Amino acid sequence: MANIEYLLLFLVGSAVISYFLTRLNSFIGSIFTIFATMFVFVSLAAYGFNMNLDTTVSLLPWFSFSQTYLGFFFVIIIAFIYLMVSFFHPYFLDKYPYKNSYNLLFLLSLAGIIGAFYTDHFLQLFFFFEMIIWTTMFLIPQGKSREAAVSYFGFSLTGSVALLIGIFVIYQNVGRFDIQAGLAGISGTTSVFVFVLFMIAALAKLGTFPLHIWLPLAHGNAPHPFSPVLSGALVKLGAFIGILALIKINPIGPVIGAIDLALGQYIIAFIGSLSIVFGTLMAIKEDDAKKLLAYSSMSHGGYILVAFSALNGFAFAGGLYHILAHALASAGAFMAIAAVARATGTTKMKELGGMIHKMPITYLAYLIAIISMAGIPPMGGFISKWLIFQAVIDRGMILIAVAVFFGSVGSFLYVFRPLAALFLGQEFREYKHVKEAPLLMLIPTFIIMGLNIYTGVIPKQIIDFINNIIGENTAFAPVVATTFTVTATYGTLNAGLIALIFGVGVAIAFIIFILMKKSRKVELMDTYTAANFVHDEHLLHYSVDFYAPLERMYEKQSHWMKKFYDALAHKVKEVGKLAKYLFMSNNIGVTLIWILVIIVLLIGVVAL
Amino acid sequence: MIVNILVGIGIALFGFALQTSIGGINRKIVGRLQKRHGPRWYQEFIDIFKLLSKRGISHGWIYDFGVIMALGGIIATAMFMPLTVDIVAFKQFDNFFIFVYLLAVGMLGMAMSASGSGNPWASIGVMRALTTMLAYEVPFLIVALTIINVSDSSSLTAIQAFQQTAGNNWFIIALPLGGLVGVLSLMGMLGKKPFETYIAPAEIASGPMVEYGGKQLGMLFILHEISVFIEVSLFVHLFLGGASNIFIFLIKYFTVYTVVNLISNVNGRFKIDQVVKFFYKWPLLLAIIQAFIAIYLGWVI
Repeated sequence: MANIEYLLLFLVGSAVISYFLTRLNSFIGSIFTIFATMFVFVSLAAYGFNMNLDTTVSLLPWFSFSQTYLGFFFVIIIAFIYLMVSFFHPYFLDKYPYKNSYNLLFLLSLAGIIGAFYTDHFLQLFFFFEMIIWTTMFLIPQGKSREAAVSYFGFSLTGSVALLIGIFVIYQNVGRFDIQAGLAGISGTTSVFVFVLFMIAALAKLGTFPLHIWLPLAHGNAPHPFSPVLSGALVKLGAFIGILALIKINPIGPVIGAIDLALGQYIIAFIGSLSIVFGTLMAIKEDDAKKLLAYSSMSHGGYILVAFSALNGFAFAGGLYHILAHALASAGAFMAIAAVARATGTTKMKELGGMIHKMPITYLAYLIAIISMAGIPPMGGFISKWLIFQAVIDRGMILIAVAVFFGSVGSFLYVFRPLAALFLGQEFREYKHVKEAPLLMLIPTFIIMGLNIYTGVIPKQIIDFINNIIGENTAFAPVVATTFTVTATYGTLNAGLIALIFGVGVAIAFIIFILMKKSRKVELMDTYTAANFVHDEHLLHYSVDFYAPLERMYEKQSHWMKKFYDALAHKVKEVGKLAKYLFMSNNIGVTLIWILVIIVLLIGVVAL
Repeated sequence: MIVNILVGIGIALFGFALQTSIGGINRKIVGRLQKRHGPRWYQEFIDIFKLLSKRGISHGWIYDFGVIMALGGIIATAMFMPLTVDIVAFKQFDNFFIFVYLLAVGMLGMAMSASGSGNPWASIGVMRALTTMLAYEVPFLIVALTIINVSDSSSLTAIQAFQQTAGNNWFIIALPLGGLVGVLSLMGMLGKKPFETYIAPAEIASGPMVEYGGKQLGMLFILHEISVFIEVSLFVHLFLGGASNIFIFLIKYFTVYTVVNLISNVNGRFKIDQVVKFFYKWPLLLAIIQAFIAIYLGWVI
């Protein structure tokens, strides 16, 4: 029987051990990290699914744990992403300035995750949240930029403060820090207040509009093996807080009659849809592959918000399914980009091309990941988006639907860009020496590929587990699912059948292909160039400003949010300067003024 | 199950034969419109079989794999398509979203193959095709949302049955604004003028197909015919009440394709950003207005 307390202590212990091992030899330390993560993941998977984990506490005073289906759903996804990513460590660690602490912080942040989802105490939740933020904050600057970590910390801090105030408000009203009792105990204006505070925390963690600035900075500049964790796992903490606010607190407010939905939920859905549109437009424009995927995470965060705001069974199920599908898809895509970046040293799309000939398996991993990300069958993303569409249509949320459909079609555009720019097209001379990623890095790649397909073909087990969550947390009707089908308001989706028929179609096409005359193989440079002689591969690779005509249409508007936050940062700095001038100045005059003020005050007090 | 799959393959084959013939007839009609004789009605079959039998070039495995994936995806989509209320391979699984998104697999395969050819003109064509797609899909999906909400099902056979029920009009009449948007989106989907920027056959010797020849081009021709079949049938089923038997389906199909083709032939061509601006101005606005009055006010004729 696995005990949560022991798992936490095990992780902290292995974190310390891995620090010393990594100091000795980074490869050994990383292998140790893989096994430590694997042990934790296997323990969780073996006991957690049936809620058989031991929650008793004997060694850690003041801590208390309880297990819920909802918490486990998040924990198992995140622990899985951690495990997959740990396979990348042996090949990346040597490049980082503080490699000794990398594995330490990695394992500590996993401990934070497990604690956060298993605790039943608000203050501990906050403690574990901070533990995750502080450990990851030191992981991010190991990549390219320190500024990214500052931005990440700043926005996370906003979320944390909002969460903390929310917790205190709950405590003030209920008198307990117990999570379930606390959420159930508030009502009226208090619940609206807590709802707003919790949603700020959720938006900040999820990286959705308007608190999204940190997302591309952190994702784009984080160490390559850490970006999948950020996007696939850590932003999902925001979704968890979002569920607490939208489903559990669910404040009673004015109801919009036409769509039969509370105003609070509609506003959140609207913020979600803004997030979808902004994320999509920015992703289409972005040149850095990792930043592009970061903006896509922002847009998917919007989908998750829309799903949880719609307040019915299949929307909720769709949101949870989307969390799983997006975690797998974005982890797969980021890991593929990481493999390319390891081989070439860049993630800029304009500097890359033709990697498919050197890294076909990585290409396939990326392809499958983006098919799921774009919500195309037969991958997991299709089922989740289908469920969300049903909910949006059922509610008749027309304006939200515009954004939801725009994001869905727009995702075809942006996911295709790295595919074309990185992997397809001309093979550059400077990357002729590049080889496919090593076997140890291909293992997680294959596993994630398999799971992306599994989630899109056999939804039964996942939907069943989600039904447990629905029963545990809500009064919604469970989603009906058989081995291959999912049923929602407007019909039944047979995911297995779609995959089968797709296979049949490809088989027919393949037969046609193979029966006809064999083609003559020609070089990539041997293309139609309208009678011009082009000798440079770079000139035959179209990847810069791929969607130029479209980008031109919103070029001016695309900097609005950044300008707003720059202006805000400027104002904050000015206030800081004033404070510095008043309280920490070396200027003798200011000091004299303070002395005078204090003397006057003292005289005043004495005189009174 | 085997029988259903065979029916599906039959529908895909029928769709290919139907669209290739009607495409040929339409070439003749357009020829007469321009005071030419026009080719024979089976010219398109000749083109395709000639291409399939020729020896072409290959730019590497992704170039071939993309074509196979594209044609496979499109055949799979066609296999789900109902012809009439009764002739459908997989009853109750002919979900509307399958047609939109499984079609995308085919498009993705084609885009992949074209970009994999290493020709920048092909990539530019793909960019234009995807941008056009972003333009016409959103208004179309909003109208589809209205239809699904009103008819209470997303199964195409159920939507057909709903329109054929006594007292209900075809959706092109019941939702007139939506019907207009549907026609415009259909023209975008089919790549008809003024939205044919990504092919633009008369202007540039480029576009997604620039590197193709031989069997790959032949397969892409088949893909094109089947995808036109899917898109026009989708319009017939969503807006024109579907069909209760195969002859009605043929008449409606022929009418829709010919009308769209005739409209196309008296138009000029938009630039790619004009396409996007156009679709996000009037069709989207009309689609939203239609959705508002149909869903919130319940005004369905």
